[in-house]
Amino acid sequence: MDDKAQLHTLEGVAAAILITMTLVIITQSATVITPQHEMMLDVQLEQMAYDALTLLDTAPSSVTSTNLTECVAGWDMNESNIQNNGLPSLDKQLFLLLPGYLYNVDLTYVQNEALVTKNVIVNGDPTEDSVIASRTVMLTNLSVDAAHGAWIIASDEIKVVEVRLTLWQI
Amino acid sequence: MADLKENTSGQIIILSGFAICLSLIALAILVNQAMITGYYSSNAALEFPKHEIRDITSQTRESSVSIAELALRLNQSNNQSIEDNYRSLFNQYEQQMKTIYTIHGDEVHISLSEMNLTATAMNYSAESTVWVNISYNDGMTYYVSRPEIIEMGT
Repeated sequence: MDDKAQLHTLEGVAAAILITMTLVIITQSATVITPQHEMMLDVQLEQMAYDALTLLDTAPSSVTSTNLTECVAGWDMNESNIQNNGLPSLDKQLFLLLPGYLYNVDLTYVQNEALVTKNVIVNGDPTEDSVIASRTVMLTNLSVDAAHGAWIIASDEIKVVEVRLTLWQI
Repeated sequence: MADLKENTSGQIIILSGFAICLSLIALAILVNQAMITGYYSSNAALEFPKHEIRDITSQTRESSVSIAELALRLNQSNNQSIEDNYRSLFNQYEQQMKTIYTIHGDEVHISLSEMNLTATAMNYSAESTVWVNISYNDGMTYYVSRPEIIEMGT
């Protein structure tokens, strides 16, 4: 009887077990985190949102037509909706800085010792993976008058306004 | 069966299989470690409030200069000193910043430590300086700048 193949069969079984075990260990140990992971995308998106606000606030007048403070100072104090944009100058610049992204902008400020939040640019409902960036600006009656805004600020008062940008990608 | 015991050529194949498997496992562990490092660094980047701290310090520096200009302008129209006008305006700034950051769950304290404001006509002298204390606390990160030295002179 030729029983030489038995050892070959045993070798085949041992090799199959080794390969199977290796594949099981690799697939179970590797966490599925790739450079396109949601958290890494959030970091990039948040950085872009903050960069856009910082650029608009700090860039010299030769770079931007109106900076962030001037845009906010020129607000007509009417809350916006998806059809009616409250800050067209800011919307135009954000559209150029954040191509392919959707965003909403809210303004938060203190009025009569209460905190008030108003929508000024509305482009829809943010998705779950949206990020929020904010930057504060300070208004005086001089800056409001220069920008032809509707803020009511006395000559011996200042108004700190938080510009909150909600950014998301579809 | 005697032939089977003497035939040892299969051992090399099995040993090669072992070596390849161990190499693959080692490579998989290395790749996994690199990916986990990326995950934790992304998490740390999202958790650390660097943007908030930068905003508070840069806005305080910018606002301090604007407040100084406004205090000087007010000095021309009311009977209060530049320092009194500055102090009053800075208190408004401090209170409003504190309220705005409170809604984020952050504790912000900005206080005027010292000031040296000397003006000639409508400009501040080169040595005009304001010292401001800033502290930020979100429960995880505590940041203090005492003092933040802000020069007013041109």
